[in-house]
Amino acid sequence: MNAATPPPPISTGVVFEARKVRKVYQTGEVDVVALHGVDLSLNAGELVCLLGASGSGKSTLLNILGGLDVPTSGELIYKGWNLDGAEENTLTLFRRNCVGFVFQFYNLIPSLTARENVALITSISRNPMTPEEALELVGLGARMDHFPSQLSGGEQQRVAIARAIAKRPEVLLCDEPTGALDVTTGITVLEAVERINRELGTLTVIITHNAVMSEMADRVLHLSDGKIVDSTRNEVRLPASGLKW
Amino acid sequence: MISPLDRKLLRDLAKMKGQVVAVSLVMACGLAMMIMTRSLILTLESTRSTYYQQNAMADIFANLKRAPLSVAERISDLPGVAMVEPRVAVDVTLDLPGLTEPATGHIVSLPEDGGPQKLNRVFLRSGRFPRSDDRREVVLGETFANENGLSPGDSLVAIINGHRETLSICGIGLSPEFVFEARAGETLPDHKRFSVIWMNYRALAVAYNLDGAFNDVCVDLSPGAKAEPVIEEMDRLLTPYGAGGAYMRKEQASAQRLDDELRVLHSLSVLYPLVFLSVAAFMVNAVLARIVRLQREQIAQMKALGYSSWQVGFHYLKFVLVIGILGTIIGGFGGRVLGEKFVDMYKTFFRFPNLLFQMDYSALAIALLISMGASAVGVLSVVWQAVKLPPAEAMRPEPPADFKPSFFEKIGLTRFFSPTFRMALRNIERRPWQAVFTGGGLMLATGLMVLPGAMSDSIDYLLTYQWNSVQRQDVSVFLTEPTSSQGFHSLEHLPGVTHAEQVRSVPARLKYAQYERKLSVTGISRDCTLNRLLDESGKPILMPDEGLVMSKKLAEVIGADIGDEVEIEVLEGRRPTLLVPIRGLVTDYAGVAAYMDLTALHRLMKEGDTVNGAYLSVDQKHWDEFMRELKDTPRAGFVMVKRDQLAAFRKTTGEMIGMISGLYLMLAIIVAFGVVYNSARIALSERSRELATLRVVGFRLSEVRGILISELSMIVLSAIPVGLVFGRGLALFIMSSFSTETVRMPIVIKSSTYSLAVIVVLAAAVISFTLVSRMLGKLDMVGVLKARD
Repeated sequence: MNAATPPPPISTGVVFEARKVRKVYQTGEVDVVALHGVDLSLNAGELVCLLGASGSGKSTLLNILGGLDVPTSGELIYKGWNLDGAEENTLTLFRRNCVGFVFQFYNLIPSLTARENVALITSISRNPMTPEEALELVGLGARMDHFPSQLSGGEQQRVAIARAIAKRPEVLLCDEPTGALDVTTGITVLEAVERINRELGTLTVIITHNAVMSEMADRVLHLSDGKIVDSTRNEVRLPASGLKW
Repeated sequence: MISPLDRKLLRDLAKMKGQVVAVSLVMACGLAMMIMTRSLILTLESTRSTYYQQNAMADIFANLKRAPLSVAERISDLPGVAMVEPRVAVDVTLDLPGLTEPATGHIVSLPEDGGPQKLNRVFLRSGRFPRSDDRREVVLGETFANENGLSPGDSLVAIINGHRETLSICGIGLSPEFVFEARAGETLPDHKRFSVIWMNYRALAVAYNLDGAFNDVCVDLSPGAKAEPVIEEMDRLLTPYGAGGAYMRKEQASAQRLDDELRVLHSLSVLYPLVFLSVAAFMVNAVLARIVRLQREQIAQMKALGYSSWQVGFHYLKFVLVIGILGTIIGGFGGRVLGEKFVDMYKTFFRFPNLLFQMDYSALAIALLISMGASAVGVLSVVWQAVKLPPAEAMRPEPPADFKPSFFEKIGLTRFFSPTFRMALRNIERRPWQAVFTGGGLMLATGLMVLPGAMSDSIDYLLTYQWNSVQRQDVSVFLTEPTSSQGFHSLEHLPGVTHAEQVRSVPARLKYAQYERKLSVTGISRDCTLNRLLDESGKPILMPDEGLVMSKKLAEVIGADIGDEVEIEVLEGRRPTLLVPIRGLVTDYAGVAAYMDLTALHRLMKEGDTVNGAYLSVDQKHWDEFMRELKDTPRAGFVMVKRDQLAAFRKTTGEMIGMISGLYLMLAIIVAFGVVYNSARIALSERSRELATLRVVGFRLSEVRGILISELSMIVLSAIPVGLVFGRGLALFIMSSFSTETVRMPIVIKSSTYSLAVIVVLAAAVISFTLVSRMLGKLDMVGVLKARD
């Protein structure tokens, strides 16, 4: 991996502070409580793994952290900026400037090449790296002018990561980033995530079903029934390349 | 009991009701046009055929000067002739108390023996036929009677051969010979000022010194007999009696107008529906292709559960069936409503005993088959591709769509394009046919919008041209008989006449190469300023001393040009024949005409300063007085008042054009809206993942909306100019299909017409975009992104 010189960590200290965050979905006549008052604090440069069964509330939490949704009640503060009850425009700005997302299904624009997919974001960001730098960071320097249909699943996911981090976000949120990949490809993708976290100092939150992945995290949060039931800190972070499942 | 699959079908359809309605409406437009035109053809043809048959419409007609009745018997002896009806037919001036200007009556005699007519039998609407010995009783044409509030028992004054006669109306009637009832040579009916009148032979014949003779004859052919040899024999028999040549039913003025109308309907009944149905078929295809792609997994599951490919395929074909049936119902209903409106309008032009709209149900069945067929053919391949996939494969996500750099990028223009612009370009290039059909639909809508405007622009131009540039006289008077200049002076000295010009016209046969046309050669003076002859550029043509100036259309029809020599055989007086060169071509829009210098015509006719008409400018202050005296002028056979012609034109043609314009406007809006809405809806659905991604990574709703509509906007903006050109072509095609030797339309399209077309199509596009943008606002970003494509 031909790594570019990493910029200094963006900030230190607490990035997210969640207090008693509740989320209730109204589906028909039934209220579904997805989050039952979550208290959480996430720090700059951390790599956090959210583990939990389906329906445990981890995706809801990630969506709220990423400004894709707002809590029903409770407080969510991003670096002193109150996000609960924020307007749609504020959330759009927050997503545009502060958060990078990676989803299980890469969600690349099929009509744009790898470089252009990244350029799509750099064209609207305040202080982005170049698309080339971002793609180099995920090891795709040689595949920049390929369309998604010409890339493997792992490569597509790495383009998605490059797209997410090209804006130099404070936060990188990954929702099952290896869910659609085989082990080897999955590890390559995780290596890219790890590198971003390490070299750019981006707070990285990974949602997964896969408990093995928690070994590469600084902290592991277990969610169940919309609550954080356990929080463990790893003394030693395993490199992504050392993971096996 | 509805099967689970049908339940799914209904729910899927309910979810996409906007699109179902949009596609059905576009389809309905085509079907409505088809059903309307086919039904109008059926209505007109069957009504005509019944009327012609029941009232014995003649096969051959001839007009002559005067022939003894014995000649009619000789005609009846000709092989192929079944029946002959000799008649007296004359034009007279009518004086109606409620009308300042004189009206014209075309009096046709009833049989001499007082028996029923053998041919062209009058259909009596009310009252009775004249008593056999009565000299004053007449049957009056229905429309004239209605327009002027006359009924049996009333009377009217006619100037019959110079004498004022009070005629008593005993019946109101109509005849198959005058379904289209207008003065000879007039292109539009003026029911207030023109009527056909039937009266006893003797009363009329005596007045015109035609007792024991006839000046008009109709012939019925034996079954299977050919018209041409009979016409040839009739001409041989009648030429010595001043006949201008017998002609077939299809050349008879009224029958010709009906034929013209049917011809127009026939051409519209194919072209329009075809275009609309192609657009609708594409829309169905696009919608269904999207459903099938979206339901890839569902298809796999159905097959995994044991449904056969046929069952699954048929399930998706049912979408088409539902849209087709819906389109046919709306189209059938619309076609009926429109057809009934058109039939009402036809009643202004065509008079039948009973013109009732008849729905062509076979057209409805054909419409259903065509619409289903066209749509089904379009979707078969999509459905087939879906059902042939093995279930396991179908359950896996589809690989990303295959893209490549667009043509513009390949030629090095990449650096000028933003990523979003590139997305739009590549999407268009990846599915060019989709873009072509969307563009095609919009082009059609734009073109349809140009058409009604073009029609009214052309009519405005025609009116200005005809009534301001060409026909500058207020009144044209034609005399019953040619007369010396003395007759002209009596017109010239009518009160209020400020300027008068002489007219001499003679019936003639014009021959060039294999072509032969019967027409009037009109002699006008070189310095005429009233009825002007204008060339293509609108400049007055100076009448040459020798030679002929003729309608450009006539020259086209006979294939002659300026400088060519044509033969003129005058069908009056000594019947001289002359070879004359064509010296000028007149741009005119009604009938075909030929003009000569007045003196040259007199020389040709070896006559003195004979005239048979005059063009008059009248001081409006003396209008009533002028009209009163004109009514009493014995020789004034028929009078054309410019402002009445204009009013009649506006009432009849104006109304028709208004209705057609409204119809095209409606069709254009439906197509523009339907096509853009459907395309935008499909784009939203196909690209929801892309759009949600953009929202998630921080694009504003307005920016994402911009991306969604940029591709369609490109199509809309490139389709509009093509649509304007297409609209011009369409207007040319439609208006030239209206154009015959009797009526032509100048093709004039103002820039305001083009602008309006652009505005309406853009407005329809903007409304569609707004509706779809609202849906974009409600897009569940997370749901879309986490779902598998």
